[in-house]
Amino acid sequence: MGESGPDNILELIGVTMDYGQVKALNDVSMTVRRGEWLSIMGPSGSGKTTMMNIVGCLDRPTSGRVILDGEEISRLGGRALTTIRRDKIGLIFQQFHLAPYLTAVENVMLAQYYHSLPDEEEAMAALSRVGLSERAGHLPSQLSGGEQQRVCIARALINHPMLILADEPTGNLDEANEHMVLDIFRQLHSGGSAIIVVTHAHDVGARAERVVMLEHGRIAGIVEGRGIHGHRHDDAHA
Amino acid sequence: MFSRMIRGGIARQWRKLALMALAMALGTSLAVAMLNIMLDVGDKINRELKAYGANLTVVPRSAALLGDIYGAGAGEAGGKYLREDELPRLKTIFWAYNIVDFSPYLETRLRAESRGTEFPAVGAWFRKKLDLPTGESVVVGLAGLKTWWKVDGNWPEDGGGGGALLGRELARSLGLKAGDSLVFDGPDGKRRSLPVTGVFAGDGAEDGRAYLPLALVQEITGRAGLVGRLEVSALTTPENDLARRAAKSPASLSAREWETWYCTAYISSIAYQIEEVLTDARAKPLLQVSESEGTVLGKVELLMTLLTVLVLACTALALSNLVTAGVMERKTETGLLKAIGATDADVMLLVAVETFLTAAAGSAAGYGLGLFLSRSIGATVFGTAISVNPAVIPLAAIMTLLVATAGSLPAMRLLLSFRPAQVLHAK
Repeated sequence: MGESGPDNILELIGVTMDYGQVKALNDVSMTVRRGEWLSIMGPSGSGKTTMMNIVGCLDRPTSGRVILDGEEISRLGGRALTTIRRDKIGLIFQQFHLAPYLTAVENVMLAQYYHSLPDEEEAMAALSRVGLSERAGHLPSQLSGGEQQRVCIARALINHPMLILADEPTGNLDEANEHMVLDIFRQLHSGGSAIIVVTHAHDVGARAERVVMLEHGRIAGIVEGRGIHGHRHDDAHA
Repeated sequence: MFSRMIRGGIARQWRKLALMALAMALGTSLAVAMLNIMLDVGDKINRELKAYGANLTVVPRSAALLGDIYGAGAGEAGGKYLREDELPRLKTIFWAYNIVDFSPYLETRLRAESRGTEFPAVGAWFRKKLDLPTGESVVVGLAGLKTWWKVDGNWPEDGGGGGALLGRELARSLGLKAGDSLVFDGPDGKRRSLPVTGVFAGDGAEDGRAYLPLALVQEITGRAGLVGRLEVSALTTPENDLARRAAKSPASLSAREWETWYCTAYISSIAYQIEEVLTDARAKPLLQVSESEGTVLGKVELLMTLLTVLVLACTALALSNLVTAGVMERKTETGLLKAIGATDADVMLLVAVETFLTAAAGSAAGYGLGLFLSRSIGATVFGTAISVNPAVIPLAAIMTLLVATAGSLPAMRLLLSFRPAQVLHAK
């Protein structure tokens, strides 16, 4: 288990999530440092998405504690979780989930609208950052998968979240677009953003500083990412 | 951004929203038609019921007193009469336009020359043209009051030599028919002859009577300018507690109640106003008639209210299905909005605005359709157009609001149950 402290943006302490008889997460403890790029990997049914839902304030654990930016969030109500999600977390989905009737820039502004005030100039800047300023006026149906994912990333960034959560962000992309998205993550990481990427893909997971391996709802191991340590921890907790 | 989302949502689901608007338009059109008819039907039904005769009888006050003490039949026995020259005043009271028709009566008995038998004769107006103090002219009399009489022949002319209208039974007993002459001896001992202009069947006691011009009977009986009683047909509002209290004693009402009662076309207030303009007259409602009118009206209105409620309930149900289907289709989008920071209230507002805008558009179309429908029903059922009542507009707006709210409730509950973690990851 990592050490608790102000350097950690996220702490999970003994988190368990039950879906009836099934334990999707079983007594999981881990920490994520500020500005860290962490990957969560594991086979289907290992609890990756459940962990993302809990960390992303989309769900509450059955038991255990989740501390985000020093605030205990595991027992907060729906409205409070919405506020935290809106203010502190940027979500990126495998299926992009863009509003089909809004243009690229409007989809980015949608996150601003529910956060504070829509600002088209700022939304355009976010699209530029992901290389899509030329496609700002296009509807999602007029964009490629890679472009839609980049709009989704721009939307996640627009409110300057302290934690970016990406669920299989390259799952639906070809290799070229995968590289483009990972490059954006690298830039974000260089800029000090904390990123958690849930993925099946080893080469995507290996881009992180640390890789948390999940199996049957438990942490099976921690692997240091490519170019940092390159070895596996035997410890069951990060 | 909000309006962009609304426009986008509408453009995306226009087929479903068009169906919602159609359901709303149909519901509103029926409800508006019912309301328009309901608000206008009182007069229409009253006019229809007026075909069944008078609902007020006016007698001299002293005769009324005797009648109250000794029962019906004391009519003219009291020896007091109403003045014929005062009768045009009936068309000058506050509810003058509600006085549909009236006719004075002066009764006597005549002896037929042919059989030597006595028979009752009634002096009346048939189609009397009255010049009112206001400068207007109206035609009143039995022709308008006894519309259900089947007359074989013609109505007599008003005036001394106009002719006689015989009841079917009397004509049979005297062996007379239209075109014959009725020769009779009057109480003044003089023999007169009148042409029988027609024979009528009224299916009542009047079938045994002869109806003669009022002026002639006044001459025969030596009661020039006098009438024994008056029958009045008036359009009235169904009685309520206020009217019943006023009928017992107008003095018992407060000033405000009295004003309300006086300015409402209750049978009792019309009777009161008739008494105000005729000297020593007592106007008595024929309660059986007026109460029947009220009952019929009340039942028709109840039926229409129930139909309106039923139609609105069906519309709300249809709306509910369509809104719920729309919300189900947009489950993922709703999950996304919640995931990026929309509250439950935010997403509910989005669906509510879409639903209410659609419902309002449907209602506006339905209002126009309803007006057309009410006019058609009015023309078909009552033979006249139903007038457009402005009061229906706010009622239609309230109905739209209620139906849209009721129709949205199940969808709103569903919307609240969507959790982004479930709908975005299908867990």
